[in-house]
Parts: sequence; C-alpha cells; structure tokens
Amino acid sequence: MSGESASAIHKGQVDLLDFIDWSGVECLNQSSTHSLPNAIKQGYREDDGLHLESDADEQLLLYIPFTQVVKLYSVVIKGPEDEGPKTVKLFSNKEHMGFSNVSDFPPSDVANLSEENLKGKPVLLKYVKFQNVRSLTIFIEDNQSGSELTKVQKIVLHGTTVETTDMKGLKKIEDH
Amino acid sequence: MVLEATMICIDNSEWMRNGDYAPSRFQAQADAVNLICGAKTQSNPENTVGVLTMAGKGVRVLVTPTSDLGKILACMHGLEIGGEMNLAAGIQVAQLALKHRQNKKQQQRIIVFAGSPVKHEKKMLEMIGRKLKKNSVALDIVNFGEEDEGKTEKLEALLAAVNNNDTSHIVHVPSGPNALSDVLISTPIFTGDGEGGSGFAAAAAAAAAGGVSGFEFGVDPNLDPELALALRVSMEEERARQEAAAKKAAEDAAKQEKGGEQPASSQDATMTERASAATSEAENKTTDLMDDENALLQQALAMSMDDPAISHDVKDTDMSEASASDPELALALQMSIADSTKDQASQSDMSKLLADQSFVSSILASLPGVDPNDPSVKDLLASMQNQPEPKEKNDDKPSDEEEKK
Repeated sequence: MSGESASAIHKGQVDLLDFIDWSGVECLNQSSTHSLPNAIKQGYREDDGLHLESDADEQLLLYIPFTQVVKLYSVVIKGPEDEGPKTVKLFSNKEHMGFSNVSDFPPSDVANLSEENLKGKPVLLKYVKFQNVRSLTIFIEDNQSGSELTKVQKIVLHGTTVETTDMKGLKKIEDH
Repeated sequence: MVLEATMICIDNSEWMRNGDYAPSRFQAQADAVNLICGAKTQSNPENTVGVLTMAGKGVRVLVTPTSDLGKILACMHGLEIGGEMNLAAGIQVAQLALKHRQNKKQQQRIIVFAGSPVKHEKKMLEMIGRKLKKNSVALDIVNFGEEDEGKTEKLEALLAAVNNNDTSHIVHVPSGPNALSDVLISTPIFTGDGEGGSGFAAAAAAAAAGGVSGFEFGVDPNLDPELALALRVSMEEERARQEAAAKKAAEDAAKQEKGGEQPASSQDATMTERASAATSEAENKTTDLMDDENALLQQALAMSMDDPAISHDVKDTDMSEASASDPELALALQMSIADSTKDQASQSDMSKLLADQSFVSSILASLPGVDPNDPSVKDLLASMQNQPEPKEKNDDKPSDEEEKK
C-alpha cells in the first residue's frame, strides 16, 4: 500500500512554482544585479544568461513561502560546474532565518550536489520530513570550487499540494 | 515611506564633553537623535527606532526598536558621559537588536554617531561591514567630533563594505556655526534615499533654526501652493522695483520722487501690498527733504511724467498673477495698464489725472506739509489744466480694453 501510494504521489507531483507566495520570497546575500527571480521564475530560469549570484561571500540563504501547504518530493538545482552550489541545507517551516542561526537547527535535509545534479538531475528528498511544508528555507553553504561567489541558474521544486493529494489518496485506498 | 527598523548608536564617551559643537558635542548629538527619531516615525507610522549607547561601562541598549516616540525621547534623558566608544561592539549589538525585531518585514538600518577616535583596525571594520551587507542591514555613519588621523579612511572603508545599492551613507560634519542637526537635515540620512522625509525635514528646519529652510520662504509648496506662489511673485516684483528704483536713483540722485510715486500708488489702491514697498521708499525720501517741498514738488511732478513708464512695467508683472485670483483686481489693473500701454510713448495717464484738478488737489491735500492754497501749487495746477483733450481720449480706451479682455 505504501508503495502504491508512493507511486501515486510520484505520478502526481507537480512543479510547485505556481504555489510560491512571491510577496514573501526573500534571499539574503544575493547580488543586486543577479537576484533570486532569475533562478526561480518561469522563463527567467530557463535563460542560461540569467542566474542568481551571491554577493559578500559564497553563502546564500533563500526563503520561499507557499500559498498553501505542500509536500516536497524532489528539488532540481542547476548551476555552473565550478561556482555552482555544493552543500545545500533545506529547512522546512522555519521563518526568517539568518546566517547566524542556520547552525542552530538541524536541517530537514542536506543535499550534496554532484555534477549531474548541477546539470539537472533532481535530488530526491527525505519525503517524510517534507509532508507539511508552509515555507522552505534553502541554505547554500558553499560551492563546488570554493570560490568567492556562488552561481545558481535554476531552482525547481517538485511536490504536491496537500489538499488535492488527499482526495486522490482516498480514492486509491478505496480501490483496494 | 520605507518600512524600517532603525537602531541609533550614540557616542557618549568623554570626547563628547567638548564644546566645539554648540552647546556641547553630546547635546548636539542628542538633538540630532531626537530629530531623526521624529523623522523616521513620521515617514511611516509602523517604523520602529531603538537607541543604544556605545561608551560608558559598555554597550547598553537603552530602548529596543519601538514606534513610541515618547519612550525613545525619554530614554535620552539622564545619559552620562564617560568611557570610550566601542564601535565594533556597538554595531554588532545593534545588529542583534534588529534581528530580534518584532516585525520581520521591516528593513534593517543602523545609524552610528562616530564622534571619538576609532581604535579598531580597518580590516575588522570591513569584516563587520561585510557581515552587515550579508544580512542586508543598511548603515548610516555620522562622522563628527574628533578628527583623528585615519578615522575618516576607516569609516569610508566600513561604508564601502556595507554599501549595497546606495542604501548606506556617510556624512562628515565639521565643527562650526551650524548645528549638527541642521546639517543632517539636508543629508540622505534624513531624506531617506531621496524621497519621503522632505516634508518633515522642511518643517523641522523651519522650527529648529528659523534660518535655513528646506523651502523658499519657509512655506511648503505642497501644503499651500497659492501662498508660496504669491510669496515668490512678490519677491520678484520687489526685485524689479528695486532695480527700477536703483535706475531712478542713478539718473537723479537728489530729486524727490514722492509726488510721482504716490499718485501712481493710490491709483492702484487695490494693489497696496505690492506698491507698499515703492511708497515706503518714496516716503523715506519725503521725510528727508521736507524743507523745500514746493520746489521739489514741482520737480517731482515733472519727473512723474517720465516715471510712470517704469512703475507701469512693475504693474505689468503684477497683472498676470493678480488676475488669476481676483477678477475685480484684474479689472482695476487692466484699466491702469490700458492707459499706460496707449500712452507710454509720449503722454502718460499720470498727466491726465493731474489735469483733473480736483483729483490733484485732493492728492496734494493728503501730502504732509503741502498746503493746496499755496500760490506756487495753484500755479502748477493751472498749468495742468492746459491739457484737457488727451484726458477724454483716455476715457474711451479703458472701456475698449475691458471688453477685449
């Protein structure tokens, strides 16, 4: 049953771009010319010329709230080979974190991005930890080459919304 | 109107006892802080301001960011001067206080008053600056007081490290006659990156010194455009009149112009305010030369034949402004200008009016020290009467001009 429901959810996963609450999206330590919309927004993220860049040092802290509760399944982070992110920590439902308190909480998940990931291979997350996500904080701790700047070309979040999934889930259970 | 949480770092070290900023550096600083608090809370009611001191026994937060102006002003009382300023610790504590602000939507800003020498290394300040930038905290530095070698350089380096898109500023205030707060009012620290606070700044400036004002004449064009316009116009007229008077004075230094000026001004009775400067000029000359009135009066009347051309120019500038506001005034002006435009070449309506004997005698009666029964005056009036014809022409013209306009 869990396998079936897992596959059902897997089929139903969507790009959560539509459920992002843009008014609350924040990014700390981003360069003013290369900002977060370049990496997330439809159209901008497809353009390889536009990317998100860090400013004072190589770390980036992104805060993405959602308009409704979602379940997060996987994430795609694309970037250049050397300046792309390496260690990415994800925090669910932690509001307004700063660089000083990222180490205070254990992250919901940690992703160590490989070259394939940077080319677009999705990173599967610990799904159980992201069942009830109102907001997501992405902390990019360092980059591949250890350079002063981190560049991110594209960030895509895959998952499902809670309300719609529940209905589907109920149907599946009834069938069996 | 940016929603902002501000922490103000006050320097209350021993260096603040110095009196090179009136009345003392510390008092000047306190005034500036009061003004800043007022400006911030006024530009956006949800703004919060907090205050901390950097010297004394150690960095101490007097009040955490709050929008209650009374609380902020109250905490400024009873501050003691002493110790040495710890700039780095002060900024870091300010950053911490801002991190724990209640409304996370507010932008973070720190305003530092650096009055005493900076004992930290440039590198350390740059690190602090970068950390502030990383956490998107803006920093305003007020460099005043001690002119230590390298202090300016260190503070500029700190600003360069923090500055992100010109949200951070530094202001150098040398000691001098101007109060610290007056100098700050015109800086971006007050005006909030070029918008917003200008209204408050103008009012504060007017209230504070009464001298330097954000706006001309101390009137905000936004609040009272008509008043501002009227003030500006009267200033221009005054200038024009003074130029004309200077010209006249250059032409004939000793002559009395009172006789010519007064009929002109009384003719435009509705414009008394604007003509008042001219009449006062004329009256001053009157008092000086009271002795030889009759001879001078004749000279003046002769002069007035030539003069009205100049005074009518002044009236022309008045007309456009006055007609906007007062139709009756406009009518009166039109009549006077109609006369002058027609007759500027040779005759002026002055002479026409003077030809009207009753009018002239009434004028002369009102002049101090002139006796209408004086024979010389009577002779003069008789000569005036020899020009009755042009007067009749004149009566037709004003009505034509009226209908046209």
